[in-house]
Amino acid sequence: MSQAIKKLLPQTSFTEAVSTSSIYTYNWRVLIVEDEPAIAEGIQAIIAPSSKIIPIQRSSRQKAATAGTDTGNHIIDKFEVVWAKNPTDAIQYVKQSLVDNKPFAMGFFDVLLGAEIDGIELVRQIHTFDPRMYAVFVTAYHDRSVDSINQILGPDKADRWDYMNKPFTDGSILQKARNAVSMWNLKQQKKIQEEQLAEASNLLLQGERANTVAAVGRSVAHEFGNLLMRIIGHAEIALMKGDIMTMQNSLNTILKAGDTAAAVLTKFKKMHNPEQETDFQIISINQSLDEAIDLMGHEFKKKSIKVTRPIFQNCTLEANHHSLVQVFMNLFINATHAMPTSGQIDISVAKIVNPEEPNSAWIEIRIRDHGPGIPEEILPLVMDPFFTTKGQQGTGLGLGICKEIIQSEHQGEFSVLNHPAKGLEILIRLPEHQEAEDEGN
Amino acid sequence: MKEINMDRMVVLVVDDDEQIRSIIKDYLIMFGFKTIIEAKDGADAYRFVLDTVQRIDLIISDWEMPRTDGLTLLRAVRKHHARHKTPFIMVTSQQSQEKLKITHAKRHSVDCYIIKPFRADVLKEKVMQALKLFEEKKEAS
Repeated sequence: MSQAIKKLLPQTSFTEAVSTSSIYTYNWRVLIVEDEPAIAEGIQAIIAPSSKIIPIQRSSRQKAATAGTDTGNHIIDKFEVVWAKNPTDAIQYVKQSLVDNKPFAMGFFDVLLGAEIDGIELVRQIHTFDPRMYAVFVTAYHDRSVDSINQILGPDKADRWDYMNKPFTDGSILQKARNAVSMWNLKQQKKIQEEQLAEASNLLLQGERANTVAAVGRSVAHEFGNLLMRIIGHAEIALMKGDIMTMQNSLNTILKAGDTAAAVLTKFKKMHNPEQETDFQIISINQSLDEAIDLMGHEFKKKSIKVTRPIFQNCTLEANHHSLVQVFMNLFINATHAMPTSGQIDISVAKIVNPEEPNSAWIEIRIRDHGPGIPEEILPLVMDPFFTTKGQQGTGLGLGICKEIIQSEHQGEFSVLNHPAKGLEILIRLPEHQEAEDEGN
Repeated sequence: MKEINMDRMVVLVVDDDEQIRSIIKDYLIMFGFKTIIEAKDGADAYRFVLDTVQRIDLIISDWEMPRTDGLTLLRAVRKHHARHKTPFIMVTSQQSQEKLKITHAKRHSVDCYIIKPFRADVLKEKVMQALKLFEEKKEAS
């Protein structure tokens, strides 16, 4: 069996991290559905020359189940051949192969099986539970046109079958088997790689969210430290002093601290509720900005960062509030890194109408810090994944994810530029929410 | 070893949270200290440090404060010709960053650190530890 296993994907720590199936086992399994033993043996002799196929007895589930793993008889070289005498056996073997997680890559199907259904109908039925399996129809008669097979199997399966007439040459049989098997495996590998990629990018996105949560978490920890200090301190002082006045004052302070702690907790919980993360709602941009500023309040205070935010007209848009809060928080976190000791963040929001398209307006948000900015030569790189100017402090995903959220999720625009005076400016444009027009007009 | 006489000692308490300052102050009075001076951040505290007439026997400072934080204050104190031996207790509220901070603070020879929230007896223990350390150093030199 070991010759039949090919390690096609190199096992790296990264693929290992995102998937447990990083070793790909090449699938060589072939089913022959043929009522004539001589023909089945003929095909088998061509694709797996020195093996001897043994038909699996009908009604013996156990034998069918072990057919694939019984390596002694059917497998020489690479192809692993199983013979089914009739459609009923074929369906049973294919179903069992899925249960055993040893699917067939392809099958040779005799068209006239001398049974209640022909080979084409059999493949149609197999495709209802194993749509991946490739089929090569084998017939002595021109009893079915290619078009009629296509009609039966459906246009979506057009790339899953092939056709050959008897008498066939050895080479054509072998080549059909090789083609079908490699197609099956290529599709399977592509599917696995796509799954791994999706999983990896999801993990990265989660990681970046976790970073944002961690920043807020630190501020919550700080606030809680102080609140608990008030609660514990006042309880101790009240107990030690013991007079009514002190006790009353202390209890009031303790209650207030408890209320504040509950409010902090609600704020934090609201911030990371995965259920709300995909919601698109009509919101005011102020709502998302306020929440992000509020969550960053402690960091701003700690770093002595002043936030200027003129009052502006209310701009509504259809957006994922939680994603936008994440974008603003990422930008604020970047700004605090750019201004470690003290500084200022200027936020402005404006409505922009293109005279040529008076019916659609953009909401333009500018977030500018007063840090050193980014050297012009590396400015074009800042939104690339994994690009970071922060050394170990950054994952290099922050701005890339911001851009992704604004452009892909919200069909907006996201750009980064150095402010002419000082600092870095992030420019975000989002489509404004349009009130639905009267549909009758 | 000499008895620690808290009567005449002056403690500088630095925290941006007024309520926390008042709790620490109340604790210190219960321990027997008589004179406690307060500052709302590192820069504010540094005014006392620079004032050569001002007696300071112990500094208890929060780490995270706007404008000038506790570490900056610690560094400034350790560099000051007359104050560099002053016992210094650093207060922090973040468990997760605790290790990083301690190594950082140790480099600038903090005497003790304490994590918020803390009970009175823990603070008392730290205060006594810092003052004893100071006395021992003084006797040794």
